[in-house]
Amino acid sequence: MSDALALMQLLRLASPALPVGAFAYSQGLEWQVETGAVRDRDSAGRWLEGVLRHALGRCEAPLLHALITAWKLGDQDRVAALNARFLASRESGELRAETVQMGASCRRWLLRLPAVERRFVDALSACAEPAYPTAWSCAAVAFAIPASDARLGYLWSWLENQVLAAVKLVPMGQSEGQDLLARLMPLVAEVADAAATIGDDEWSNFAPAFAIASARHEGQYSRLFRS
Amino acid sequence: MDRLDIARPGWAGRIHLRYGANMGRTRLETARHEGPLRIQKALYPEGPEVCQHILLHPPGGLVAGDSLDIDVELGRHARVQLTTPGAGKWYRGDGRMARQSLRCRVHAGAVLEWLPQESILFEGASAELEVRVELDDDAIFFGWDMLCLGRRGAGEAFRHGVVRISTEVERGGRCLWWERGRIEGGGSQLDAPAVLAGQPVCASFLCVAEAVDRLDTAWLADCRRLRPAVGEGAMTRLPGLIVARYLGTDARAAHAYFVSLWQRLRPAVAGREALLPRIWAT
Repeated sequence: MSDALALMQLLRLASPALPVGAFAYSQGLEWQVETGAVRDRDSAGRWLEGVLRHALGRCEAPLLHALITAWKLGDQDRVAALNARFLASRESGELRAETVQMGASCRRWLLRLPAVERRFVDALSACAEPAYPTAWSCAAVAFAIPASDARLGYLWSWLENQVLAAVKLVPMGQSEGQDLLARLMPLVAEVADAAATIGDDEWSNFAPAFAIASARHEGQYSRLFRS
Repeated sequence: MDRLDIARPGWAGRIHLRYGANMGRTRLETARHEGPLRIQKALYPEGPEVCQHILLHPPGGLVAGDSLDIDVELGRHARVQLTTPGAGKWYRGDGRMARQSLRCRVHAGAVLEWLPQESILFEGASAELEVRVELDDDAIFFGWDMLCLGRRGAGEAFRHGVVRISTEVERGGRCLWWERGRIEGGGSQLDAPAVLAGQPVCASFLCVAEAVDRLDTAWLADCRRLRPAVGEGAMTRLPGLIVARYLGTDARAAHAYFVSLWQRLRPAVAGREALLPRIWAT
């Protein structure tokens, strides 16, 4: 596969047009807006920075990297163990439901594509309840996307989705949304890089305020988002 | 006293407790301990089915290099409640970790409650708190932990030191709950709005029971409406467990919030009213 094709596959995987329903989730941001803790570009930026650095950066991103390695090696036991750990690390019912729904949609999409190698189709089909990073990393490996690009693409699509949610919820203008993306891009790069170096025993998903925001969102009276 | 002699070797305490149930009575069957960790006489405030033990650590605190290993096993249908007589203190050390590890194995039909008082982390403490729970099919676990970062009464913040936490719960070899954290004294997590948001008290409560999946949503909505008197709290349901969290300034508010949830959940999933251990009132 040429580099141009791999790059396009990455853009496709990281695109908001990927049919996994990412647009439906705010991951607690909607609750933060409800309480007034997030009320403008700067407060949205501080919230996202913390989630990115401390929750995604030390758990989801290194786990995605480990999944990519496991898919490359064809180590299905390792894939299953990482998938189970990711599901058990979800802080709330909504966050778990989110990753399970997006994982199932991502798998459905991937399995329908022509020319995906049989071994990926079989392994992913055998996965009982694939979380989103599990199915997404399978696609990235099946498309021969280099691991460092895949990590960057995954985190970028997370950030873009969160910023779109912030633009809708706060609300703020498109240009403020663009400022927010620009401000957080260096951190995305830093987190994507570091993810390859954080070993299993250093993973951390400790973010109690994030967990509380998500749990409170479950009981929020009026809401646009599913998390 | 907030600093002990740094040349002192670590002090290790270990306790292994095994309980069994026979004819509706839970008894301690095996107890082995080493070092400064022991239990008081068994209490049966609810009758013979539930054995309550108060776990004592006479030094009252941990410092660099100290360790406490608590290993609890419940045979089929045993019901055990463990608590502590006061706050656990983690003193400022020399950088070596002080460690507490709780390992629980709960066999079919048994119910374990781990309801300790709060852990106070002095500024400069290096602490590692580890909880690992293994449940058989229909075993039940209730447990909480409450961390106070710095002694607020003494106007202390957690500017130095480190806390590592690790909590894992499995049922039949399947991981249900996995949480890891590393809080650096003076680090950006302390103020990050998504992490500790500037709050010194952070606590979590777990209710792990298969019956959780069958609880009525409207009934749970009532539990969700409970709030701590001070600070923020919330609960959520995941497959096979309920998790509640507290973040705020007051360990007593966290405790009262968790007790209010426990009082509703215990009868609903474990079939017995919750009775507050007397030792909490002293």
